[in-house]
This record gives sequence, C-alpha cells and structure tokens, in this order.
Amino acid sequence: MEQYEPRIIAFLCKWCSSAGSDLAGVSRMKYPPNIIPITVMCSGSVSPLYVLSAFRNGADGVLISGCHPGDCHYIKGNFYARRKILLLTELLNYIGMDEKRFKMSWVSAAEGAKFTELAKDFVEEIRFLGPQNKLIRGN
Amino acid sequence: MVHIEDIKKEAKRLLKEKKIKYLIGYKRGTNGLTALPTFIKEPEDTDELIWEASCIQNLSRYLVEEKKEQLKNKAENTLPVGIIAKACDTRSIAVLLQEKFLERKDIYIIGVSCEYGGVIDQKKIKKKFRGKKPEKVIFDKTNNLLIGTKFGNIKVPAEEILAERCIECKSTFPLLCDDVFGENVKRKISEHFNSIKEIEELPAESRWEFWHGHLEKCIRCFACRSVCPMCFCTECVVDPIELAVTNESTAREKAEKVKWIERSTTATDNIIFQLVRTLHLAGRCIDCGECERVCPVDIPIRLLNKKMEKTALEKFGYESGFDINMPSLISNFKDEDPQDFIR
Repeated sequence: MEQYEPRIIAFLCKWCSSAGSDLAGVSRMKYPPNIIPITVMCSGSVSPLYVLSAFRNGADGVLISGCHPGDCHYIKGNFYARRKILLLTELLNYIGMDEKRFKMSWVSAAEGAKFTELAKDFVEEIRFLGPQNKLIRGN
Repeated sequence: MVHIEDIKKEAKRLLKEKKIKYLIGYKRGTNGLTALPTFIKEPEDTDELIWEASCIQNLSRYLVEEKKEQLKNKAENTLPVGIIAKACDTRSIAVLLQEKFLERKDIYIIGVSCEYGGVIDQKKIKKKFRGKKPEKVIFDKTNNLLIGTKFGNIKVPAEEILAERCIECKSTFPLLCDDVFGENVKRKISEHFNSIKEIEELPAESRWEFWHGHLEKCIRCFACRSVCPMCFCTECVVDPIELAVTNESTAREKAEKVKWIERSTTATDNIIFQLVRTLHLAGRCIDCGECERVCPVDIPIRLLNKKMEKTALEKFGYESGFDINMPSLISNFKDEDPQDFIR
C-alpha cells in the first residue's frame, strides 16, 4: 500500500519565516515536501478565512508562521495575529476539529533548523491523524 | 417597577418638544403575548407603546438601518432618533458607538431596566403551555415567574420561560442612557457561560457531531446576518453581491470574482459561513440572542458566539459592550497575551 502523504499549507511571513524556510533550503537541510508554502506579507494579514478556505480545499493541516514577537517588520502585525489565531484555534477546537491540524509558530530568518524540525514534526503528526475530511469541499 | 405610563409620558414630551425625529419602540403584537417594533412620529401615537416581558427584539438594528439610509442619501441628520432599549440593547449600541459607526448625538436612548426579569422565549412558551395563551408575565425576586392565562395564574421557575440569554444576563441595568426607567438591581439566575459548559465538556467527536448535525440544517437564509446589529457591512465576505457573475460578465470579471464558499448549502460551506460570522463577531457580540431567535431551523448560533465571548474574557480580559472608549478586541493587543499555543 502506498503511504499516505499529507498536504499541509504553510502561510509564511515574507520577512522572517519565508526567509527561514529559504535558509533551510540553501543550507541543504532536509524536510518533507508535504509543506506547501504560501508567502504572505505578514502573519497579521492572514485572515481566519484563509485557514478555513485551505481546509475547505483539501489541506490536511495548516501552519501559520511569523516573526518572533517584537521582530515584526510592521512592528505589531504578529501581535494582532496572535490574538486572531488564538480565537480561531479555540473556535475550531470548540466545534470539534482536531486542534493538532492547525499550528502557529514563530520562525525567524536565521532559524532554518527550527523550521526543518517544525515541518518534520508537523508532517509526522498529520500523517498519524490521517486525511482531514471534516471541512472538505462538497461534503 | 417600570410603569409604561411614565415611558409614554416621556415619549410624548420628547416628540412634542421636537427633541427626537421619531421613536423606535414596541407595540402589541397580534397574537397573544407578543410585541412588534413600532416607529412613532406623532405625539398622540405614543399610547400604543408597551413594555412587558414579550419585548424581545433588539431594536438597535433599526439604528443601523437608519444610519445606512443616511449614508446613502447623504442627508444631514438634524434630530436624534429615539429608541427604547433594554440593557442588552444598550450594550449593542455601545459597541456601535465604540466602532464609530454611530454617533452619540444621533441617538436618544430611553433605557429600561429589566430588573428581576428579562424577556420570554416564545419557543419555550409554546412548548410549556401548549394550547393555552399566556396573557401576562409577572416577575418576582425569587426567580419564579407568575404567568397569567385565561385559566388563572400559573407559577413557573424562571429557567423554563425566560430566554436563554436572560438566564445568563450580566447586568439587567441599561447604560449610556438619556432617560432611565426602573431600578438597578442585582439578579442572578444562572452562572455566566453555563450554557456552553455542557458542550465544552463533550469529547471532540461528539462536539463535531453536535455542530455538524445542527449546521447541516442551515439553509443560508442569512436571517441571522440580517437581524444582527453588528453585521452592518454592505458587502458580506461570504456572499458577495456586487461581484456576482451575470450573463454579461466577461471572462476577466469571472476570474477576478472572489468566492470563498459556494452558494449551494453543503454542510462544509454552512460551517465555514457560521465560523466566519462568529469570528467577525468575536469581541463585538453582546449576546442579544437575536440570531438564534430568528433562525428558521433552530441552530443554536448563540452558543458559538458565547464561546468567543468566553475566550475573550478568559484569555484577554475583554468584555464587549461596557466601555465605548476601549479599543476593540482584535484591533488591540497586550504584551502578556497568551502564546503558549505557539511553537
């Protein structure tokens, strides 16, 4: 039997996390190819609707990654993100979605290794959980 | 005690002295113990005003409509609009003022305290009394209600008749008022957030079954959105009208159309619609329970909003509708906001 390959959408902020994942790439660190990165200008610009839409279009997991608090290019975007994402996490948990499918992290431009670790762990976790079929389109 | 005669007298005075453009209040409905919204322009019409436990509606929605109308016509508003508001209604006005959608000078609030009571839930009444039509409701301090029917008075516990939101009410006394009727009393029937405790304690799978079962029924009539005083966007993100595709639409217009969810009512899209609505109301919903009341398929929408209210209070110490000078929940942050969920 073929192994199940999860699909994970990662919203990476342009200034830190995207550069962090880039660093992981140019440093030849290996991480699973299941992560589909989408670069956004700031983690604060990620609307909860993006996340729900990702789930709707077949993502098994969603990762949002931004700069560490205090390092935001736009000074406070990630603080807003922190509030919004907490509300979304609580709500998804409340309606019975698996909370492990949705993650937020701080990854700076220098943390290629952290991003690699994070990606590995997340993919393994989702692989264990199996495909997401609760919020999938047309269901 | 609130005497309706006092309210009528005040309303008459305001209209006679041309202090307000018109008054939004309640009048007797046509079927038993029900109330209808009414718009009073002439002083002599104030006699039709009522105040009783059936005044369920949150009339602040009409202030939103009035404001929208003004914006559309670009009319200069000279006189404020009068409104009869319960405690929860004044809280929704407070949020509208906080968001600078309304201006304080444009409204004249006649606040009425619910004191020991609240408003009744028509669905509960129907269930409880079957054929009998209640004619009046009297509240007392012991959390029991006296229901007057044709067959004499019946005493029932408050939980069996009162609307869910009133059972959990934070404060029955209105704020920001120009006139206040009734006293400020402390009343407690049930612990706050008691209604969602039951669902929160269920295992995740049962929670999913509960919500999926309910939201599957949704026909997306958008009644919850139409009645909500906070849903004042002209263009809703889940239902874009301006961007609709018609026969004349060019390929480019079709391609540029943002479409988050389909029009057809599949369970997934219903869930996403309700989640988006709940998130947009986080820190703004003041729990007036209107969405749940108007829902034709009885979805407990209020319980979704209640969860957000609880999260806002527990995680961020934010309570909506009490302070109009506070920045709103998601346009603000604190350094010590919880971040243990972030890796």
